Amino acid sequence: MELVISITIGVLGGSGLWLLLRPRTFQVIIGLSLISYAVNLFIFSMGRLRVGAPPVLLHPSVPGDLEHYTDPLPQALVLTAIVISFAMTALFLVVMLAARGLSGSDHVDSAERGP
Amino acid sequence: MTITDHLIIAPILIPLFAGGLMLVLDGRRREVVTIISILSTLALLTVAIALLMASMEEDPARTVRVYLLGNWPASFGIVLVADRLATLMLLLTATLGCAVLLFALASWHRAGSYFHPLFQFLLMGLNGAFLTGDLFNLFVFFEVLLAASYGLALYGSGRARVSASLHYIVINLAASTLFLVGVSLIYGTAGTLNMAALGERIPALDPSERRLFEIGAAILGVAFLVKAAAWPLGFWLPTVYAAASAPAAALFAVMTKVGFYVILRVGSITTEASGGASMLFGEGWLFAIGVATIGFAAIAMLASQDMGRLAGYSVLVSSGTTLAAIGLGGTGMTSAALYYLVSSTLTVAAFFLLVELVERGRTPADDVLAVTLEAYGAEEEEAEEEEEVGVAIPAILAVLGIAFLACALLLAGLPPLSGFIAKFALISNLLGQHWLTGGGIVSVQGWILLFVIIVSGLTTVVAVTRAGMRTFWTFTERELPHVRGLELSAVALLLFICVVLTVQAGPIMRFMQLTAHGLELGRPYIGAVQAQPGAAPLKQERAP
Amino acid sequence: MSTDVVLLTALVVLPFAGSVVAALFPTNARNAEAWLAGGVALAELAIAAYFYGPIARREIPRAEFEWLPQLGLNFILRLDGFAWSFVVLVSAIGLLVILYARYYMSPDDPVPRFFSFLLGFMGAMLGIVTAGNLLQIAFFWELTSLYSFLLISYWHQNQNARDGARVTLIVTAAGGLCLFAGLMFLGQIAGSYDLDVVLKSGASVTAHSLYLPTLLLIAAGVLTKSAQFPFHFWLPRAMAAPTPVSAYLHSAAMVKAGVFLLARLWPTMAGHDYWFWIFVPLGVTTLLLGSFLALFQQDLKGLLAYSTISHLGLITLLLGLGSRLAAVAAIFHIMNHATFKASLFMAAGIIDREAGTRDIRRLGGLFRAMPITAVLAMVAAAAMAGVPLLNGFLSKEMFFAETIETHVASALDDALPYLATLAGMFSVAYSLRLIHQVFFGPKATDLPRAPHDPVFWMLLPIAFLVLTCILVGIAPQATVGAFLDIAVRAALATSTPDYSLAVWHGFTPALWMSLLALTGGIILYAAMLKYLSGDVEGAPILRRLKGQRIFERAIAIASWRGAKGLVQSLSSTRLQPQLVLLLCVTILAAVWPLQKGLVGLYVPKLHEIDTTFLLVWIVGCVCALGAAQQAKFHRLAAVVLMGGAGLSTCLTFAWASAPDLALTQLLVEIVTTVLLLLGLRWLPKRREEADQPATALIRARRFRDLAIACTGGAGLAALSYAVMTRPQTSTIATNFLEKAYAEGGGRNVVNVILVDFRGFDTLGEITVLGIVAITVYALLRRFRPARESVAVPEQKQFQDRFDAEHDALSKEMISAHYMIVPGLIMRLLFPVVAMMAVFLFLRGHDLPGGGFVAGLTLAIAFILQYIAGGARWVEARLTVLPVRWIGFGLLAACSTGVGAVVLGRPFLTSSFQYVDFPVLGRLPMASALLFDLGVFALVLGATVLILIALAHQSIRVSRTASKTSQPAERAI
Repeated sequence: MELVISITIGVLGGSGLWLLLRPRTFQVIIGLSLISYAVNLFIFSMGRLRVGAPPVLLHPSVPGDLEHYTDPLPQALVLTAIVISFAMTALFLVVMLAARGLSGSDHVDSAERGP
Repeated sequence: MTITDHLIIAPILIPLFAGGLMLVLDGRRREVVTIISILSTLALLTVAIALLMASMEEDPARTVRVYLLGNWPASFGIVLVADRLATLMLLLTATLGCAVLLFALASWHRAGSYFHPLFQFLLMGLNGAFLTGDLFNLFVFFEVLLAASYGLALYGSGRARVSASLHYIVINLAASTLFLVGVSLIYGTAGTLNMAALGERIPALDPSERRLFEIGAAILGVAFLVKAAAWPLGFWLPTVYAAASAPAAALFAVMTKVGFYVILRVGSITTEASGGASMLFGEGWLFAIGVATIGFAAIAMLASQDMGRLAGYSVLVSSGTTLAAIGLGGTGMTSAALYYLVSSTLTVAAFFLLVELVERGRTPADDVLAVTLEAYGAEEEEAEEEEEVGVAIPAILAVLGIAFLACALLLAGLPPLSGFIAKFALISNLLGQHWLTGGGIVSVQGWILLFVIIVSGLTTVVAVTRAGMRTFWTFTERELPHVRGLELSAVALLLFICVVLTVQAGPIMRFMQLTAHGLELGRPYIGAVQAQPGAAPLKQERAP
Repeated sequence: MSTDVVLLTALVVLPFAGSVVAALFPTNARNAEAWLAGGVALAELAIAAYFYGPIARREIPRAEFEWLPQLGLNFILRLDGFAWSFVVLVSAIGLLVILYARYYMSPDDPVPRFFSFLLGFMGAMLGIVTAGNLLQIAFFWELTSLYSFLLISYWHQNQNARDGARVTLIVTAAGGLCLFAGLMFLGQIAGSYDLDVVLKSGASVTAHSLYLPTLLLIAAGVLTKSAQFPFHFWLPRAMAAPTPVSAYLHSAAMVKAGVFLLARLWPTMAGHDYWFWIFVPLGVTTLLLGSFLALFQQDLKGLLAYSTISHLGLITLLLGLGSRLAAVAAIFHIMNHATFKASLFMAAGIIDREAGTRDIRRLGGLFRAMPITAVLAMVAAAAMAGVPLLNGFLSKEMFFAETIETHVASALDDALPYLATLAGMFSVAYSLRLIHQVFFGPKATDLPRAPHDPVFWMLLPIAFLVLTCILVGIAPQATVGAFLDIAVRAALATSTPDYSLAVWHGFTPALWMSLLALTGGIILYAAMLKYLSGDVEGAPILRRLKGQRIFERAIAIASWRGAKGLVQSLSSTRLQPQLVLLLCVTILAAVWPLQKGLVGLYVPKLHEIDTTFLLVWIVGCVCALGAAQQAKFHRLAAVVLMGGAGLSTCLTFAWASAPDLALTQLLVEIVTTVLLLLGLRWLPKRREEADQPATALIRARRFRDLAIACTGGAGLAALSYAVMTRPQTSTIATNFLEKAYAEGGGRNVVNVILVDFRGFDTLGEITVLGIVAITVYALLRRFRPARESVAVPEQKQFQDRFDAEHDALSKEMISAHYMIVPGLIMRLLFPVVAMMAVFLFLRGHDLPGGGFVAGLTLAIAFILQYIAGGARWVEARLTVLPVRWIGFGLLAACSTGVGAVVLGRPFLTSSFQYVDFPVLGRLPMASALLFDLGVFALVLGATVLILIALAHQSIRVSRTASKTSQPAERAI
């Protein structure tokens, strides 16, 4: 279980990093999205994994502790992270389009590297 | 809760409200928006001064004020903490904000869309980052100020700005990702996000958990170094700042200081727990990085053609100096670093504004030509017919020239302005607060820093002189820049503050020393936060 | 404040004040300027006169102002005899120079600038001499460098002036920085920067382990300022300055600052062999080199400059000897040199003005043309040569006498007398040359102007100085005796040695040396006459080697090409290298803590791996890798694969009991995909074959990136695994679980955290969203697509062609009817989705959902309408003002928090109660709900704004395109 998740995080993050280092802006944006998946999972995993725990509080008789519920804080953090990374993706997308429009190139340096 | 208690959150709410209002108006009524912006900025200044006054109390316990958001106990809620350091940064930001706004009102705020909202949000982000006592909340405010800074960096559009911002955004997105990883790792191991609480939880960790925690801290540290534009992570800065519109660049001058601030803050809190060495950077890494940054920037200044990049590299110099200073550690050094930080930030901001004024109506071609002449002119140097009658300098040019001279002196740390005092304070502290009477010795690091400070001063002189001569003594060929009074007054304001810093060096340095003392091992900070009781929130009715 | 304090302060402040006032005068106010400046100088002299009494009584007037006391930096003014004598010197010569300058500067010169700088310089100089604190010296030291820069560059339209000024500034400022450090060391060693303390702590200083570095740093400052070898070259370059400036700075003031400091620190630091071994060799070298080169200068001012260098070398040498008598001689010579050199510079200036050239070869026989000037100049030159009955002779003889004594037993010390005599010969020779070639010999014919004596006021200063030379030369004791005594006593800070100021000491060896120098000099000149009249520039041997040229090449190369290369190698403005660096640094930093020991990892238990879940993730990983591989050429595929990876992330969240995350991730996924699809159109086409084959370099780079990516990914995986497999230690999570319902009033803990416990985060987060939205909007307003992507997409072109063939149907109809069925469905869907949003919003506090999710949902509903009907259709029917929604959202969220403040609780304190609604039933009405409403509005506004702004581009562009490209079709 944990193993699968962490391997997944590794794969997502790795492919994201690879794309981050590519010369084309589109590759970079895809890479950033993949990295954000990986990071979201990573944050989530910091609260340890609980399968089948109730997502919301049950009757008050059930004591509110990590025996019965998952750690809610990482989830909250992930939600914030998702929103922010969404915003940044949108921003980057538009900036990259503008750069391509103004410079005519979709290279991250806004100019094809000379020989 | 009294009004004074609520003052702590005002620096965040005021710009937020202002920004919200502006958006509701949706830039329709430009003058209303402008007025809102002015009012909010002035309010920020007032609040910052009030908070500073409040933090001047002699009783050390009272100097740190804590604000429980949502009235939840500090143990798991978010807290704002206003101690001397935070309020100092608030005041610096507010002052800078006033000057920049003054400058922008002349013409810049009409050069694109949404200048004022973005400006306010940037202030909000900065203030929040200075005030918050919660790591993840810090991340959020970093994002706020970064988002606003993206907006301002792109402000006015144009190829140079867009492609510079592209780099800026990608690098900072990567840094933010690191920030997230570091924070979550810290939560995963220490189980809290509250900075003060971290201090006491660290010792309880078992060795391997402790190591995971340190990895998290290290990753966090890298993120902060990117913000502080330390070598080798700061190459993006000069391009972005040079490309950005003048007011934006001037305001950015304080952004690198956020990185410095956080390193200092988190460092000081985690220092005690980690037994001496700062959690973020043990083994004198910070010092080495700082020195490398200064050295690199000093050389780069020589190599930079246009004034914009020159100013950008001067940001790196100031950032590197502060890092190296706190890397050496010690209360005296920290206080000197703080004084230097205030002085250099104001200077750099003034310089950015000034450069824009001077470079107006100037084609890059002149620069290139002048530089090549200057660099290779040594060969074909025949004395053309000497004209032994001076040329009268136009008034506006004279004023700009004086301002430029002042900036140059401040940047190079030459007398008579505060740059000199700052360097003096740094050097005298690294020679040892206790005098060297009776055969004291200077540490190797001390020698290195001394050397670097002197050399960077010299290179600054060379570079700035070259730029200045090129600009001011070739003016005869071209028409004068059209400069408005507001813009000049903004520059004048910043320089005037530097003069005040010089004349009032004594009291101001005393305040810095108190501030640095308050940071020692972060004890007052942690103490104040821990002392907060979780007041019961107001509830009308329990659910069945 | 006593009168002393006031007057002392005035001594330093007056010139600066005067300089400011002078700057404000109109450009043609020469007389006013002259009066102002002269007045200031006179006032200085008056103050000096006032202090003569106390000084003579060996008192030391002092004024101290607190500045930075905790670091030992106070502003102290201290006027002892030595300082006093310099005050007199500086302000007296200043006065004369001002008078001279009034007539020297041409009428249409903008003199306010000139006098303003001159006064400023005077102030800085007085600041140095009256400094009572070491750092003050450094402080005013740099100011003198600065003002000299401004004065030399006064005629900055001339290349020479610019270069001279720059060289001067760089050399002296560099020296100043060293001096600054050196003085700080000295102060630290002495235990105080206060000069009184420093002067008393000589022994402890010379004994200190840091004596040598301190001395070297200070020496760097002194030698640069006083133009000593090897830093002498800036002085000749500085001759580009207006002559009054040279007469002041380069005879009496600036260049004397160095030797002044040397004498100042003499009692503290001279008591050590290092002192001798640094200053004597350099002094001698400078003395000889200067006098030698002076002989071969063709420029009048150049000759004077080199002679100044040699005289300064002489003074340095004397102070370096370390004997008290030598120091006396040095101080005496400082004064004498000031008098005759200043007058000579002024004379040179007059000749330059009158004859129109300073080239000695072109000049000649001026005696008949300008007799008075000639006489004055000749006397001054004689004094320079050390002819008896003139002041130069006295100090020279003291010097000769001193060289004979032994100080530090060594070959150098023994050689001194001979070297001194040799230098003497040269100085006689060049003085003689100055007199002979300028005023006698054949009358110059080809002069630009017809020379004659200038106005009386211009000659007066020279006459005064020359008179001083003669009086001092004839009756030294009567004239300068007391003056010198005051200075010496204060400078040496010990008992004054008994020296006699007499013209005649009998036939001492020194006298013989003087005579030898005189005769030798005459012979030398006679021998060299032919060579010198020849058309040669510079000295026979050293002509090739030019200090300033070397220096400038060095500066040019080091500061320009070198630096550029270095920076290019040390940094990069390209993105990829920067990211590589960032990642490498991160990996390094993350590995660093592991030195202390590794992190224990639990061995995975394979049996508990859930196969279906594994399957999900195999798909997910394949998608991710596929996206990574496809992103370059098949963008659409990459987007789809990315979506796949996103979906499996959603599943994971749902699986691991985090429905909120799953929901949000899903919606964000949808919106992001739409965004990317909208963006795809503006990117350039990229075909696989179009790509050039990968070179070895590119392959290497790819391999490096691959390695980094793998390391990073593996590291991330390892970290998460290490944490996940570890039991949860004490965490704050339990607090939330306990208080969520009781105090937060919600069952959905995550949502309660978002809107209540950590509502502040959410506030910031939505602010980010809002900022980004307006940024995007602002940027797209000025969006300018690349030319090739303006063209109408292929499908549409095809469609248009089809329409053109069937011209029965108009284009509008076609475009209105394509996807008519889905359009209808989407329109019908709108209310449903809207209801869905409301539902999600209301249940948020207790069950998965909430403002953010609701906002996204509604935004998607809007997008559906846009897709279905097209932007124009939608906006014709409902007004969309997203920016205002954003603003409203922010304000709403804020106000909720402020509500609590009004109730006297901290910001964002929540309150809640359950309310019965007719249809909806019993719902939690937490104040947090209002907050969530703000979130809802903002998210809706931001998302819609971004999407619409992007979508509008197509319309705008195709409109412009169709305007330009297809007028024919529009005709149909």
